[in-house]
Order: sequence, then structure tokens, then C-alpha cells
Amino acid sequence: MNRNATVWLWRAASFAVAASFIALWQLVANLKLVSAVFLPSPDRAWASLVRGFSNGDLWSKLAGTLEHMAYGWLAASIAGIAIGAIIGSSRIMRTYVAPSLEFLRPLPVSAIIPVAIAMLGLTQAMALFVIAFGAIWPIMLATIHGFAAVEPRLYEVARSLQMSRLAVIFKVALPSASPDILAGMRLSLTVALILSVVCEILAGLDGLGHWVLLSARAFRSADLFAGVILLGVTGYVTSVAMSMAEHRLLAWQASQR
Amino acid sequence: MVNAAKRFEVIPGQPRPQIAFTGVTLQLGGKTIIENLSLGVRPGEFLCVVGASGCGKTTALRLAAGLYQPTSGRVDFDGQLMLHPRREIAIVFQDYGKALLPWRTAAGNVSLALEAGGMPSAERPARIEELLRTVGLPGHAGKYPAEMSGGMQQRLQIARCLAQEPKTLLMDEPFGALDAMTRQGLQDEVLALVAASGATVIFVTHDLDEAIYLGDRVIGLLPHPGRIGIELAVNLPRPRDQLSTREHPEFLRLRRQLFDFIKATEQ
Ligand SMILES: Nc1ncnc2c1ncn2[C@@H]1O[C@H](COP(=O)(O)OP(=O)(O)O)[C@@H](O)[C@H]1O
Ligand SMILES: [Mg+2]
Repeated sequence: MNRNATVWLWRAASFAVAASFIALWQLVANLKLVSAVFLPSPDRAWASLVRGFSNGDLWSKLAGTLEHMAYGWLAASIAGIAIGAIIGSSRIMRTYVAPSLEFLRPLPVSAIIPVAIAMLGLTQAMALFVIAFGAIWPIMLATIHGFAAVEPRLYEVARSLQMSRLAVIFKVALPSASPDILAGMRLSLTVALILSVVCEILAGLDGLGHWVLLSARAFRSADLFAGVILLGVTGYVTSVAMSMAEHRLLAWQASQR
Repeated sequence: MVNAAKRFEVIPGQPRPQIAFTGVTLQLGGKTIIENLSLGVRPGEFLCVVGASGCGKTTALRLAAGLYQPTSGRVDFDGQLMLHPRREIAIVFQDYGKALLPWRTAAGNVSLALEAGGMPSAERPARIEELLRTVGLPGHAGKYPAEMSGGMQQRLQIARCLAQEPKTLLMDEPFGALDAMTRQGLQDEVLALVAASGATVIFVTHDLDEAIYLGDRVIGLLPHPGRIGIELAVNLPRPRDQLSTREHPEFLRLRRQLFDFIKATEQ
């Protein structure tokens, strides 16, 4: 009861904040504090959004970005979980491989982009590689941690049941590591979105990043803002969807707290 | 005052022991934990192991489970050298909270053992229901371990072990963390289960009364390194009864003897 009320209060408060932010934006635009070339009013940005969707331009751009993001993120997830599982389930690997990961991890992904472009050109393959490379880290490190933290007693249960190696991975280790893995995948989602935009801008690939770049170059500030707003919404919606999936998959955890 | 451990040997005409320790020594981290332990457990026997904390009871049980390999000597199961854990030997761990899969319901946890045994999925639900009923958890199939009390979790672990259809059941202070009432109830349930299944049991406990109440035989371990210090045959009638068995003169005599032994080891 009380908790519900608190939740609603929070929602109302964040709605109020968003509304006042838009009102302030409208005010600044109306007073012409910033030139309309750089800052469109919210109603113009909205009109551009509606126009973009009704003539289909924005739909195709959105679909492009979602596609880059999804492929890169899925590739990162599969590779990250697989590599993380191998490293995390072996103490020797953890001792010898983990330190080099710690060296690679803080390497900014932007440093890898020129390398990727030199090797793969300005192509979809380059984008996939860069997005996956950036998004793999949170997933892989979370998986290593999750696999290393499996309760040893459960492995003994598995041994006394003479479970196969594959069964131990799928029935014991993966489910045990799943809270860590899903948290890593949620972090990677944001990384994948950012890198999708970066790659679209750099390689001129069809997507919201490219749309934003072209709008900025042509001083179409309303279109630019429409694209930025859409990117924000995309980030928000995907991460909410991920949270909901996590909530469902980890329902068993709720009873532990 | 205490006899040195006898070397275990197969006596012609006697049934072959189901589990046999022969001169087993185990070192861990350069320390001798178990030294020259010889012991035979007959099929269907209920053997209880007592001893002060840290004397090697859990370690001995893990050797019997095949979770440890002896540094020297050998452990045999049904006349075969034990090289690894096997499904015929089920182990009920002391820390039931860690031995259950928190992401699986009670039914799912029992199912794990059935899956490992290769039971077709269509046959599992009925068997799971039967096992949960056997350990007194009917109607809790859909609960997660975290939603269950300690006693219920331990029952669940026992159900999973029974699902292995073990020839030998190893139990490590299974009721140590439970309150007295739950404990006595579970003691009687384990006796009934074992009587019904005919399984051989090695039951570790630090509760001397519990050991005598349950066992056909009680051995007491001496610490540093772990070895057998006392061996008592328990000739109390079965089925046992919480009131009359515990008042039986033989019970009291054994209790006294065991108590003196433990006191001597603690000095
Ligand atoms: N993996 C291990 N490495 C080193 N020493 C151990 C290990 N496991 C147990 N020990 C030591 O062996 C002794 C017996 O342990 P344990 O069998 O758990 O005793 P009990 O179950 O009788 O309380 C203890 O002194 C303990 O510290
Ligand atoms: Mg112990």
C-alpha cells in the first residue's frame, strides 16, 4: 500500500521534472535566447518527429540503428558469455588471463576504431566489430565474476550426481551466474547504442547517427533534435525492456531478499 | 585407555562390506587429517560417527563419498576401488542452504537428481510428488528454497538424495542446525526412510544421544590426526522410540561410555 503510493509519488515527481524541463526549453526558444538555427522550440522538434515518422524517414533510420545495436550486442553477449565462462570456470585461466583483460579493458573503444576501419573499411562489418568489441567487456567481466562465484558445494552436488560437464554448465554454473551476466548485458546495451551512433557517423551507415550528422550539417536543428530525442527514447526503452526481462528471469531472487 | 584402530579385513563368510576403508591416510595442505583409518560398513548398516569438532568427521565422510582421494590406503565401494563420486552414494551436506539450487523450486531441486539419472521428463512429476510426500513436503513443490525453513530445506535435500536411489546415504550433521523438536521428528523420519529403502547409512553427528538412538554401531574419532578411538555396537530393539529407547538401560550405558570417551579426548 504505502510502497505503491511512494512509487506513484516518484513517477509524478519525475513527470513534473520532465514537464518543467520542456516548458523551460519552450521559454528559452520563445524568448530567442539562442538562435533557432541551433535550438528549435519543442513544438518544432515534435513536428519534425511526426513528419519524419509519417513519411517513413525516421522509421528506417531507427530500424538501422536498432539493427546495428542488436547485432553488435548479441554478438557481444554470445562471445562474452562463452569466453567469460571458459575463463571464469578455470582457476588457472583466471590467474593467467584475467590480468591481461584488466590491461585491455580500460582501453577506450575509440582507440580501436581506426584499427577496425583500416582492416575492414567503412563497412557494416566494421560497425559490427566495433560495437561488439565495446559491448563485450561488461558482459565478459560479469560472466567471469559470476562463474568464479558459483558455490563450490553445488559443484560437489553435481559431482555426486555424476552430471556431465555440459549439464553442470547449463544447470548449475550458468543459472548461478545469471544475475551477474544479465547485469553486464544491461550495461552493454547502452555501450552498444553509443557505438552504433558513432559508427553510423563515421562510416555513413544508415541510422539515427547518420541522420543527426546530416541534419546538423544542413542546420536543420528541428530534425537534429528529433533524432537526438529518438536516441534518448531508444536508450530508455531498451534498458527498461532489459530490466523487465531481468525481473522475470530472476524471479527466484526476489524470495532470497 | 583407547585401543589403536584395528586394521579392517574381509572375514570369509561375512557379507562383503559396502564401503571399506583400508589403511586410509589423507593429507591436506601438508597436514595429516586422517591417519590409517580402517573401517567396513555392512550393507544395510546404520553407522554413526561422533567426535569432537575438527577431528575429521566431515573429511572421513567426503572420502566415503569419493569427493577426496586418500593419500595412501584405499576406499572401496561394493568391492570396487572408489575413484570418483557416484550416483549410488548420496550425500546430505551439513549446510543445506548452500547445497540446494536457489533458482529451482523444491520440485526442480528434486528433479535435478532425476535428470542426472536419465529419467524421462514425462515420468518425473509423479516421482517428484512421491518423494516430496515421503519427506513430508507435500504441497511445497512450487516453493523456492529461500521460502522454506531450515528444517524444510534439509528435508528437501534428503528428498533429492533419495531421488538418486542411493545404496549408501552419507549424512553430515544433517540436523545440527535445527531445533530439538524438528530434530527428533526428522530422526524418526530418517529411520523410517532407511528401513523402507534398505540403504546403508553413515551418519555424522556431534550429538551422542542422536548417534546411539539412530545407529547399529557408533564409532568415536580421535583428533589430530583423525582415527578411530572407540567402537560400540548398539543392541537396542527396533523400531526405536523417542521415549522408551532413550530410557532403555542399554541406551544409558552406551551414552555413559561414549560420554566418557569424548570427555577424555577433549583433555
Ligand atoms: N581442505 C582442507 N585443507 C586443510 N585442512 C583441512 C581441510 N579440510 C579440513 N581441514 C582440517 O581438517 C580437520 C578436520 O576437519 P573436518 O573433517 O571438517 O572436521 P569435523 O567435521 O570433524 O569437524 C580440521 O582441523 C580442519 O581444519
Ligand atoms: Mg564437520
